Amino acid sequence: MHSRWLAALVGIALAVAGRASAADTIKIGLTAEMTGPNAESGAYQVNGAKLALDEINKAGGVLGKQLELQVEDTQSNNNGAVNALSRLAAAGDITAIVGPVRSTQIQAMAPTLTRMGVPMLIGGTDPGLTKTGNPWLFRARPNDGYSAKVIADFGVNTLGKKKWAIVHATDAFGTGGKNALVEALKALGAQPVLVQGFTSNTQDFTPVILAIKQAGADIIGTYIPNSPDVGIFSKQLRQLGVNVPWVGSPSVATATAMKLGQEALFGTFAIADFTPGANAEAQTYAAKYKERFNVDPDFYSSWAYDAVHLIANAVKATNSTKPEDLKKAFLSTKGWKGVEGTYQFDKNGDGLHGYNIVKNDAGKITFVKNISFAPAP
Amino acid sequence: MNGLSFNIQVLFSGLAVGSIYALVSLGLVLIIRTTNVVNFAQGDFAMLGAYAMLTMFSVLRLPYFLSILLALVVMGIFGIAFNYGVYYPLRNRSYLPVLISTLGAAIFMQNTILALFGPQPAPLAKVFSSQGIEIGGVFLDSQYLVILGVTAAAVAFQYFLFEHTLLGKKLQATSQDKDMARLVGIRTAWMIAITFIYSAMLGGLAGILVGPILFVSTGMAGVIALKAFSSTVIGGFGDVTGAIVGGLLLGVVESFGAAYISVPYKDAFGFLLLFVFLLVRPQGIFGERIAEKA
Amino acid sequence: MTPHGGASVSAFARLRSRIPAPVVPVLLALLVLPFVPFVHVLSSYALNIFMQASTFAVAVLGLAVVLGYTGQMNLAQAAFFGIGAYAVGLGTVAWGLSFWTALVVGVIASSAFGCVVGLTTIRLGGRYLAMITIACQQMFDFVMLNWVEFSRGPDGIAGIPRPSLFGHVLADDREYLLLCAVVLYAVIFALWWLPDTRLGRDMKAVRENELAAEVTGVHTLRVKVIAFTLSAALAGVGGAFYAAGFAYISPDNFNFARSIEFLTMALLGGSQSPFGAGIGTVLLILLPEWLRFLKQIYLAAYGLSVILIMVFMPEGIWGLLCAAWQRIAKPQRASAVEVPRLALDIATSDPAPILRVQDLKMHFGGLKAVDGVDLQVSRGTVHALIGPNGSGKTTTLNVLNGIYKPTSGRIFIESEDVTALAPHDRAARGVGRTFQNIRLFPALSALENVMVGAQRRNNPIRAGDAALRERALSALDFVGLLDQAGTEVKNLPYGHRRLVEIARALAGHPKLLFLDEPAAGLNLTEKGELVVLLRRLRAAHGLTIFLIEHDMKLIESVADRITVINFGKKIAEGTPAEVLRHPEVIAAYLGEPAHAAA
Repeated sequence: MHSRWLAALVGIALAVAGRASAADTIKIGLTAEMTGPNAESGAYQVNGAKLALDEINKAGGVLGKQLELQVEDTQSNNNGAVNALSRLAAAGDITAIVGPVRSTQIQAMAPTLTRMGVPMLIGGTDPGLTKTGNPWLFRARPNDGYSAKVIADFGVNTLGKKKWAIVHATDAFGTGGKNALVEALKALGAQPVLVQGFTSNTQDFTPVILAIKQAGADIIGTYIPNSPDVGIFSKQLRQLGVNVPWVGSPSVATATAMKLGQEALFGTFAIADFTPGANAEAQTYAAKYKERFNVDPDFYSSWAYDAVHLIANAVKATNSTKPEDLKKAFLSTKGWKGVEGTYQFDKNGDGLHGYNIVKNDAGKITFVKNISFAPAP
Repeated sequence: MNGLSFNIQVLFSGLAVGSIYALVSLGLVLIIRTTNVVNFAQGDFAMLGAYAMLTMFSVLRLPYFLSILLALVVMGIFGIAFNYGVYYPLRNRSYLPVLISTLGAAIFMQNTILALFGPQPAPLAKVFSSQGIEIGGVFLDSQYLVILGVTAAAVAFQYFLFEHTLLGKKLQATSQDKDMARLVGIRTAWMIAITFIYSAMLGGLAGILVGPILFVSTGMAGVIALKAFSSTVIGGFGDVTGAIVGGLLLGVVESFGAAYISVPYKDAFGFLLLFVFLLVRPQGIFGERIAEKA
Repeated sequence: MTPHGGASVSAFARLRSRIPAPVVPVLLALLVLPFVPFVHVLSSYALNIFMQASTFAVAVLGLAVVLGYTGQMNLAQAAFFGIGAYAVGLGTVAWGLSFWTALVVGVIASSAFGCVVGLTTIRLGGRYLAMITIACQQMFDFVMLNWVEFSRGPDGIAGIPRPSLFGHVLADDREYLLLCAVVLYAVIFALWWLPDTRLGRDMKAVRENELAAEVTGVHTLRVKVIAFTLSAALAGVGGAFYAAGFAYISPDNFNFARSIEFLTMALLGGSQSPFGAGIGTVLLILLPEWLRFLKQIYLAAYGLSVILIMVFMPEGIWGLLCAAWQRIAKPQRASAVEVPRLALDIATSDPAPILRVQDLKMHFGGLKAVDGVDLQVSRGTVHALIGPNGSGKTTTLNVLNGIYKPTSGRIFIESEDVTALAPHDRAARGVGRTFQNIRLFPALSALENVMVGAQRRNNPIRAGDAALRERALSALDFVGLLDQAGTEVKNLPYGHRRLVEIARALAGHPKLLFLDEPAAGLNLTEKGELVVLLRRLRAAHGLTIFLIEHDMKLIESVADRITVINFGKKIAEGTPAEVLRHPEVIAAYLGEPAHAAA
């Protein structure tokens, strides 16, 4: 019984490897969440990548060859992510990869990626991802270290508030963000008066909000990944009479969050990497995306769009698809204006070093300013 | 905010969340009483009801109360399907296959809805458009008041049903001795079907009322269902009053635990309470130990 | 595939005989399989899949033990898996231990937690157990996510090194896979051998009918704790190898969804067999890969399939295969064996009463089922307890047996106060029992049922499996069912099941045999045969029988002494002749003489 399945598997592997031997395309791998709870964001990621791919191909491709995308499903979990990457490795001719947006999946894939030896552009924002010394990871979104610096900078320097209440989910995103925010505030001389974690999918935030009131905070900073939590938190915040400024992580300004929180979110600030009003590239991209897919894009698609362009640029710059050459090309990318921002990769592989601040103006997201920092030397 | 109003606010928040647990556990208790089955898909009945309401009200744009009615009808039909698809084929087997079957049903329901509606959570309208009332610095959300009211009404209705109607007696007889009930002429299969229909509708109603607060998503049911189980155990397995008291108690313990000890570990207090009861007094507050006849 | 053959066949030969011929080449192929990657290049994708399958399979095998063999629900298997994984993760990365040391730590930790969960069954069973294990799973999830100083929280642990064997680091996936395969195969073999051992039989007895097992002498609590501990230990092993295999672990890998996944794998393949567990695991790891095109529908189909499995193939794929095999295979004929005569004599002839009951009271709330009963039973006699329906007879028996703890009063067996002893401890002192509504182990063969009786503690037989088997066959021979030894008792007619139950009690070489309405449900012929049987038992030296019956003729023909109770109180006692003409006794059964006449 087992032997038959083994033969089938081997057959599949060989067939896949055989099929992909055509040397007239440059293949880009894409690992996205196509099934499972995060399938919708996966679809956006694929759309963004495809948009970029088609643009490049219409303009003649790269080095005279057309680009081809091989999409593999991570199934929204770590094991699936590793398997998706393994399937790309099995294909044997992948030039570069557009990886996942989930930090834990990227962590799981890291050992396999190292063995594969191919550059992967990632959308995960956990600052630790680029500190592991893995030379093949390149981040096409600003990491949470910057998000925290931007939140802190905006709140302290622009809004002038120093008594911070930090509310964060206890998952990877929330805890990482919280740590970074505490550090950033310390650097600006502002000590948080309250740091309060909560488990995602909480039904009731009353104890948290009462704690905010008791601590006498004059500004709230949040790292809340789930939209329902944002919705409930915002509603209860207003019900209990708290109206201090609120600068939150990107989930505060997503379409879903605004649908759930409605008036409770009016006047809140959020950081966002992708913002249509922030620069010309973003504006054009939003229009193109809407025209083709009939919905507004979000950051899930924009970074993938940038990632494909970055890969194409790197191949063009070094005139080669060899991994080592591409690595050097990425590291020497300077001043390239993508949708997410202007890219310059530091030695750790981080391409972006700042965030936009946006405001919820009675239901419309408006661009306030961009705060960026010099990349680490 | 002074100490007293702080505590009252925490208390009321606890009762409020506890009322959600209580309402969901009502349907659960009913199924346990009649069929001796622990229905792990009870939380998903709530989810289903919320999505039915979403379809009727937000998508088809029907009037609010008509939407509720139609959503309940949908839930009733689903209750029949659940009865004949999940319970009936296994009715003569031991509790384990049925329990596992309800787990499978839960996964099936969640993922079918996920495939149909997508993963994004959606808002749902409250019964009363007002936010709520404020008394002495303490805020009471209007929707929670509705939930408490409906829960009380459902309990009263169930009490009346079980104690003062023939149908209720038949349901009780079926739960205590199915074979004997059949022998005296009670159509037990129909009794059980009624139980599932009513429980599905009650569960759906819970979802319709809870949806505006927790938002409608396929994951909305998960944690609630677990807490509802804990409520039934704490209150007394199979006891209606117990389920209510258990749910409210659980909510209050969580709320005070969060306010005074630790917010992230709020759920742990609930588990702790459950453990303590399971080990010290498994029959719960109001339950009776029923010994198996050897 | 139940064991057959004579009592003197060695255990190994018997195991060998359980393997049908067509299976042998498959087994050989499986043994060779882990070496294939060294000869034929496999993609890292395939190796990954196999690594995942082999480590998951060990955890699913744990479920086979606790759920399949012992019938206990365990929805926390992913937590135990996670304990093993974190032990290795933290051990090698944070505490500087070697993989092997960390593995041991992990197994000890998960076993300890499994033991604790098992101990909760002292109070709870069934559906409560499901909830307790879910709660444990959630707690684990919780703690691992939030106790960041210890577990590194949601970030997980990266860079877990591979183990080294004899100085050689197993960095090569193929070598590591070979190691995993060795472990997996060892576990499969152990689990395949387990059901045929005393512990295995005890486990199956608990699964089939816990009360009957307890009364027959199985220490059910101990068995359940062992089952949970073993299950958790296996999960810990699987988790440890998983961690070192994939080099990165995070809490979201060991959550409730994973527990459900393990459960589904066990159910799909067949939880009652280690091979089933293996099949289920492989299928449910490969299926998502093959069915990627089904996308969203896949998970919904997953849930639906659980229901369908429960309804249509509760014993999983393996169960289907076995059923098909049994239809095809020629039924094995029980070889004509010579079994020794069943020894029933009791050595002692101590004149003191073997059973003494002192002012026994059993109240259920306001209901006084037994209300102050004194009685004595002399050794070697047949003592009957009669009374109208609802008089408290079975309750009395249940108290004597240890199923209920009396409200007050004392029970002495051979001058020892046994009032506080659990039923299995009374069985260990030579108490045997049959039930009014027959309680056998339905899925086990007649022989296995009776063997459970024979393996009660302190049974005066030689040590070893062969002696057990011999004793059981003798008991079956005694009741005339030797040729049915291999039949599953659920396929036996009512009368034969009654006899198997008696044989099970006799196999334990009881000093004191409780029979609760042994004639219930028997027709006239069967009753006659029962009387003959009882007389043969009576002829055994020193064996005391205490029976409840309604059939007066039967009682008159076998009983030496009768005690009559009504409304929980003794109303008459004496020889059959005295008691059956006693006016109060007649009144209790038939009403007052005035009414009877009218």
